[in-house]
Amino acid sequence: MCELQKRGVATAVICSEPFFRVAKAQASAGGVPDLPLIVIPHPLGGTGLDVVKSRAGIAYEQLIQIIRDLQR
Amino acid sequence: MSTTTVGSAQDSYIEAPDDIEAAYEFCEKNGFGDGLPVIPPTIERVERMLMFCDRPRDQPIMTVAPSYGDATPLRIAANAVMAGCRPEYFPIVMLALEAMGDDAYNLYGVQATTHPCTPLIIVNGPIARELQINSGFRAFGAGPRSNASIGRAVHLSLLNIGGAKPGAGDMATAGTPAKYSYCVAENEAESPWAPLSVEEGFPSDSTTVTVVAAEGPHNVNDHESTSAEGILKTIAGTVAITGSNNAHHESRPVIALCPEHAATIAGSGFSKSDVKKYLHENARIPLSKFSAENVDRRLRKKFPERYGNASLDTLVPMAKQPEDYIVIVVGGAGKHSAFIPTFGSHRPVTLALKRNDGQLARSIQEFRTAR
Repeated sequence: MCELQKRGVATAVICSEPFFRVAKAQASAGGVPDLPLIVIPHPLGGTGLDVVKSRAGIAYEQLIQIIRDLQR
Repeated sequence: MSTTTVGSAQDSYIEAPDDIEAAYEFCEKNGFGDGLPVIPPTIERVERMLMFCDRPRDQPIMTVAPSYGDATPLRIAANAVMAGCRPEYFPIVMLALEAMGDDAYNLYGVQATTHPCTPLIIVNGPIARELQINSGFRAFGAGPRSNASIGRAVHLSLLNIGGAKPGAGDMATAGTPAKYSYCVAENEAESPWAPLSVEEGFPSDSTTVTVVAAEGPHNVNDHESTSAEGILKTIAGTVAITGSNNAHHESRPVIALCPEHAATIAGSGFSKSDVKKYLHENARIPLSKFSAENVDRRLRKKFPERYGNASLDTLVPMAKQPEDYIVIVVGGAGKHSAFIPTFGSHRPVTLALKRNDGQLARSIQEFRTAR
């Protein structure tokens, strides 16, 4: 994802809350410390379809905001 | 105060106390290490470690995910000092890390996964014996110094150079005590078969290091069986467990046979490939033993050609093919073998210990430099 961002492709990574720190560290290690991160509640695995849809909704709102920020 | 190098420093030198207790406090305060006391890596001690290094000290041999720190001999040497290594152990530490740099090993995945895997370091060959790396009684730990400090040096390097801190780089849900140190030699003297090094394609007189992303050993107690089929039936029953990654990843499970079990199995006329074939055919779990969600959401989806519409009495093997089982002989007297579950999205890597002229090393003393 860092490589895509470096090449100018608008990129965001979805992670759940406990993985935010490692995602930030990975973004820095990949040379894109401000890589947009979409953070959703944990967990995603072992949940029903209703929870997955809810997580998708939370991610979608953040994704729209990221795109709006890019257009400014 | 004395000048001390510390593992993850950017090759600068840090002023730190070289008194043991003060250095321990310093490491704790600054986030270096594994929580156990360390030997302060002073310049003099690191230089002594590098006496057994025939490579440029500042040239990385690999990068350590997840922070992608450069693993230079200098940095690795600082970690080896901290771990308590004798300088003679250093080429084995270096080789283990070099093996983990192979893309097939998938070091990022191994370091950052929630699964409790950690590199199991298996040493084969004459230099394993020269360094007295334990392959007998209590070989998986604790001690002796060789096993303990070689394994710990590798793990400290993964922590300090690779940034595998709990919750920030190493996401293991609860982890495993094997993350402190996990190094063993194969008991070749008491194995009835060719050693792992030869199976992996290396000459019989080579010294090799194999790194496998593995869980801790799970015991297999069999004091009653008197045949290969009997012992292997017990082992197959231990291997076939639904919660193991080996049930739904095409990885390479490890079987560490104790010498007595190995002798009984070989006494029945079984070759090592017969052992693998038996385990592949018999260490299987019917789909009905998995939860319905695991069947529908994982196995049927991940392997649609195998389980897509399969009935619940369909058997799930613990490896893709018989050859994927790694079978070694480890331990002293007694009838306790071990199943070592492994990760997934990963392949073990074996490298031979070579001098810088490309020839196989015959003795660790060949690495001693004139520094």
